[in-house]
Amino acid sequence: MRRPLFVYISIFLTVFSTIAFANPVRVGQVEVALLSETEQITAGKPFGSAIHFKIDDGWHLYWKNPGDAGAPPSIEWQLPDGFTAGEIQWPYPHRIDLPPLTDFGYDKELTLLVEITPPSNLPVSRNVELRATIDWLVCKEICIPGETEVRLELPTGSSNLSASNSANHAFFASAREKLPIENEDWEIQALMTENELLLSIGKPNWVEGKLQSVLFFPEERGIIVNPARQIFQASGERQTLRIPRDKNVHLTPERLKGILVAEPGWRGPGSERALKINIPIDYTGIAVVAKGEISGIWMALLFAFLGGMILNLMPCVLPVLSLKVLGIVSQAEQGRRKSLWHGSIFAAGVIASFLVLAGILLILQAGGNSLGWGFQLQSPAFVFVLASFLFLFALNLMGLFEIGPVSFGRKAGVSHHTSVQSFLNGVTATVVATPCTAPFMGSALGYSLSQPPLAALLIFAFLGAGMAFPYIVLSAFPQLLRFLPKPGRWMVILKHFMGFLLLGTVVWLASVLNLQAGGSAVVILLLVFLILALAAWIKGQWGSIPLTGTRTFLAATAFVFLITFGVTIGLYALDKFAETEITRAGTAPGGLVWENYSAERLAQLRNEGRPVLIDFTAAWCLSCQVNKRVALENDDVVKRLAELNLALMRADWTRRDDNITYALAQYGRNSVPLYVLYTGKDSLPQFLPEILTPQVVLDALAQIEDRSII
Amino acid sequence: MTRTHFSILTLLALSVVALAAFAEQKTPETAAVATATVGQTAPDFTLIDANGKSHSLSSFKGKFVVLEWVNFDCPFVRKHYNSGNMPRLQKEMMEKGVVWLGICSSASGKQGYFEGKELTERLKSEGFSANAYLIDNDGKVGRMYGAKTTPHMYIISPEGTLIYAGAIDDKPTTKLDDVKGASNYVVAALQAAMGGKEIATKSTVSYGCSVKY
Repeated sequence: MRRPLFVYISIFLTVFSTIAFANPVRVGQVEVALLSETEQITAGKPFGSAIHFKIDDGWHLYWKNPGDAGAPPSIEWQLPDGFTAGEIQWPYPHRIDLPPLTDFGYDKELTLLVEITPPSNLPVSRNVELRATIDWLVCKEICIPGETEVRLELPTGSSNLSASNSANHAFFASAREKLPIENEDWEIQALMTENELLLSIGKPNWVEGKLQSVLFFPEERGIIVNPARQIFQASGERQTLRIPRDKNVHLTPERLKGILVAEPGWRGPGSERALKINIPIDYTGIAVVAKGEISGIWMALLFAFLGGMILNLMPCVLPVLSLKVLGIVSQAEQGRRKSLWHGSIFAAGVIASFLVLAGILLILQAGGNSLGWGFQLQSPAFVFVLASFLFLFALNLMGLFEIGPVSFGRKAGVSHHTSVQSFLNGVTATVVATPCTAPFMGSALGYSLSQPPLAALLIFAFLGAGMAFPYIVLSAFPQLLRFLPKPGRWMVILKHFMGFLLLGTVVWLASVLNLQAGGSAVVILLLVFLILALAAWIKGQWGSIPLTGTRTFLAATAFVFLITFGVTIGLYALDKFAETEITRAGTAPGGLVWENYSAERLAQLRNEGRPVLIDFTAAWCLSCQVNKRVALENDDVVKRLAELNLALMRADWTRRDDNITYALAQYGRNSVPLYVLYTGKDSLPQFLPEILTPQVVLDALAQIEDRSII
Repeated sequence: MTRTHFSILTLLALSVVALAAFAEQKTPETAAVATATVGQTAPDFTLIDANGKSHSLSSFKGKFVVLEWVNFDCPFVRKHYNSGNMPRLQKEMMEKGVVWLGICSSASGKQGYFEGKELTERLKSEGFSANAYLIDNDGKVGRMYGAKTTPHMYIISPEGTLIYAGAIDDKPTTKLDDVKGASNYVVAALQAAMGGKEIATKSTVSYGCSVKY
């Protein structure tokens, strides 16, 4: 720990060595020089001057925004009468990473250019002295401030004699290459959202090739998180730079000033790397946030409960839950206490799996993932396993196989539930339910996003409670089922029929897989189905005959082996053969064009004042598909949409897409479907209900016409 | 027995599903660390001071607490100690009942880190007059508060809410002379808060040397 002494000496040296007036001057770790672009000064004619720093290895100087720490150099001119000095022209800096902090600056050398304008009445043939006091902070691990004065004497001459200093010419030319250029042809827009600064970059026609990478350096401190990775994405003609916002200071400047540093250059490969920007910031992304329809936790819990109840009627849950009703019918016979017990266990299963799903979701979100409700269906592997499981379940319902030896003394085909099975029924129902969003649910789930984890979990628990509620009521009052016939053969037939409903769900999952991972993935799935069916058949043929232990055991072993084998091989093949880039054509009836959602395009359309309808959807979201067919593709609606010249956007969330998850979050949601309508310029977004009818859409669209009349 | 097989199968399927869902997730690039936010409860911490005594933020409930990130060899900090500004502020505020804690987040061996006798001597020569000089050599508390520079100042209300975070004043330089003309954010915030008034500037961008984590 001898460092303090060294530091004292350094500080001492820096402060007291500043009296030297030579040019260049070495002070501590830097050598400073004042240079001129011209050999002589001409009256009234501006010329370039430069402060050049040579920096010792390992040390650095700072840009005008130093980043998280440090300070930029400054120049104080002492010029003869009538001379004026312009602003410092800063070359573009680079990032200096000192985890967890990041600074912006320079190493090795730094040239600050300043334009100096002599007075117009300058006498010829006289020497003029330029003087400047420079101070700076130079850092390695430690920081040392420095200050010195630099001088340069130049003769004055007549204008026709003014020649540029040939020795310095190359020096100034290379210094100018590092200055940010101003170019109006690049179309750059800034959108500030709750968490991010989004820069959308539109290329002019005359520039060849694409930008490879872009980095933004803000002129003002406290706007962005300096150390964060800036994500550069190219989508079509426009490119986007996404930068996390510094929320500690929470600045909301009107304009965004700074520079963009790009590879390979803003006028084509090999051209200038830095571009100056000074553009207005669009905050519409924030205006929307936190404008949910829910005002408090109680309302959110109520909405969650109602949503959960309605969820039972959604097409994804219906086939599975009808089974539960069957279960209740059979339990009703065994008495009310037993039936209520199973009902409660089922409810516990539902609530527990909602909590587990919500927990996983919260943990992954805390880890920085942008995920939302139904996130697991964005994974092809999940869809694959779920489809396989439901396929096997359907075969079981259809009677191809029974699990375990057939028990005598029971009515054939009537399920005698164990507690474990009731619980697992609840789990299954929840897993199958996740692709659906019921009315009320969207806003409740969205609200949970803005809440601390405990409140969020409570909301999810209420959702589960809502979903299980009708079954609890049924189990508590089995007499409600009075109108149903006594258990008997009709139940077996119904059970077989349910198998077909379930196969319908399987077909739907296969179609989702097709959209996510392509046709070969579906073929793999079908092959796995073959193996599963074989397993089921073996189990059905040899596994269910009583009192022949070895055969039953062998059949059961083959059954488990084939299923494990089939699913594992299938997952492996899926991983290998799945197509990663699937393009979906955006054709729609009536010649309507649904463009892909992008935040920049939306901002642009809103600035133009054009009404916009955004459809947040996913292939695995059944209500989305139903809404699309029933309402959005309804003839009257299509006609109206075309008449109103509405801009139509589709945000497809079938696969994981952070941009769309993010856009949903902006509207206070994390689930699909969501329909957002902007009726015109400056209008707040309106949300259409989760269940659309043609009339609902037409009514919403009617407001647009009203506005246009005014 | 009849149903357990099916139950096991269901469980198996679900666990595969859960695994698959997890496998899909990429590891987060930079896990967002929860940092102190102005207007919210200041995170609690316990650190050892220069004399080996342990201090917890929570034990100062009921008093205003100032946290000063310090690194004596940083020129920006030098400005405030060479001019006597910082020791004077410390004394002044402590007389008014404010608890003032200096925190050094320099990692062991890195610049600004001192221990033992050297530290005691340094504190004396600097005129350090705060309640305690806390050693945060693993940078845990610094990261928790998002301390970027030395100096970096934080004020915590008697209720435990973070009410100011940022620079000490509005002159981000190393020049001694700039102490005089500067308007001190910390003094202004403390005066407002103690007078029961709204703090005009609750957060600023701090200036100084980087914290040597």
